[in-house]
Amino acid sequence: MKVLDRVWLRQLLALAVVLALWEAAGQAGWLNPLYAPPPSRIAAALFELFSQGTIWSHIEATFGAALGGLVLGIVVGVALGAAAALIPFVAELLEPVMMMLNAVPRVVLAPLCIIWFGIGLGSKVALAFVLVTVLVFFTVYTGIKQVDRRLVERVRTLGGGRWTVLREVYLPFVTAWIMGNLKVAVGFAFTGAVVGEFVGASRGLGYLLSFAQSTYNSALMLALVFLIMGFVLAIFGAAGKLEKHLLRWR
Amino acid sequence: MLRANNIALSYGNEPVLAGASVSVEAGQFVSLVGPSGSGKSSLLRAVMGLQKTTAGTIETSGLKQTEIGILFQDDALLPWRTALENVALGVRLRGEATRCAFKQAEVWLERLGLAGLGGRYPRELSGGQRKRVALAQVLCLRPRLLLMDEPFASLDAIVRARVTQDVVDLVEGERIGVLLVTHDLEEAIALSDVVYLLSNGPRAHIASHYSIPIPRPRNLVKARSHPAFAPLYERLWSDLSEVVDGSRRLGVAA
Repeated sequence: MKVLDRVWLRQLLALAVVLALWEAAGQAGWLNPLYAPPPSRIAAALFELFSQGTIWSHIEATFGAALGGLVLGIVVGVALGAAAALIPFVAELLEPVMMMLNAVPRVVLAPLCIIWFGIGLGSKVALAFVLVTVLVFFTVYTGIKQVDRRLVERVRTLGGGRWTVLREVYLPFVTAWIMGNLKVAVGFAFTGAVVGEFVGASRGLGYLLSFAQSTYNSALMLALVFLIMGFVLAIFGAAGKLEKHLLRWR
Repeated sequence: MLRANNIALSYGNEPVLAGASVSVEAGQFVSLVGPSGSGKSSLLRAVMGLQKTTAGTIETSGLKQTEIGILFQDDALLPWRTALENVALGVRLRGEATRCAFKQAEVWLERLGLAGLGGRYPRELSGGQRKRVALAQVLCLRPRLLLMDEPFASLDAIVRARVTQDVVDLVEGERIGVLLVTHDLEEAIALSDVVYLLSNGPRAHIASHYSIPIPRPRNLVKARSHPAFAPLYERLWSDLSEVVDGSRRLGVAA
């Protein structure tokens, strides 16, 4: 069949089959709705969230925390990574700290962030920030150390000074490394925001998840999981487009 | 134009060169041959200021540093810049307006047979095309002295012959002085006016030098059939073997 030659169509069809089987199993009573509600109940929960309109403030809180942590994490991670790669003394100080932070399962920092920054937006931004900063630090640190020395020499022999080398060689090289890890960073930022909200918050998708868990509302919980998944996939798509545009030379 | 007198240089405590003297006049093509590790590339890098010397002097009388161009074995083009942007980069760094730099870059790309390829990124070009872009990048700066470190070694025989002939035509036309490092004795004789032979390292020095009486302008295919070519090649090959074998014997004796 010509229509099934397209990959996305085959994937969509497979998804539809899984959902239909799931729905049929639920309707037939083979699945306990307390643990695995059928897709129709999940869709109804999702519809209810949007029709009441209350979801928007939660989405806004989660997005605010995730994007705030992402932007701050990238800015600070790039600055620290670049400083460590270019100044050996800074590397001596920062590398062990970042190694320790990298070794800790960073979500365990969530309760600490709540104590330090309260249950408001600050603690979620802080958690997302730590997750992203460590990732970006190592990306930039390793990236700069692997800059092709021949390119640096080439720009120097063409008459470029230190700033030109930074602009023409280091910046594009490091941008490529960051773009390669941007999707992971986005994932980390949302993990930080949602986990932070889950541990202690009055708003956000993580807070709603915690509420759904405490009321044993599996349909709401799965609706939220799919919603978060959808948002992250949409951001992945945008990040992918940006990567393709900025790294079109690859 | 260039006088490198008694140059000595080392890597850490390892002496590489000990008293090598080379000179290049305007419009003269000079080659440097010798065994691996004899410090040919290091001498070239020292002339460009990329390598510190421990003794000797480098005089580039009447030449500004900006009038010296260098072409490495690797084309080292910025992968995120198009061919045109790569060629224009040096001109822009010399303070020319971007538009003007692009115009000059276009002219050089056309001159080197790359018209219409300026918008391509290096990965979209063949090895020979990339090498031509690197050459255009250097020639665009109108160097009066061109240093080349085995620039065409990575190319296949046909592309190499064509690019090398292009370089010879340009160098003869513009009267650029050239110092070329090569392992290829045939290439050295066919291209050069003078060939310097370096002794084996460490502490390498100029073992001998040879004047090449083949007239210019030169066709690289015809140069190989010139009556002076074969005897020169035999002499150079024999001297190079002696340099290598002599050091081996010394090494064994020591």
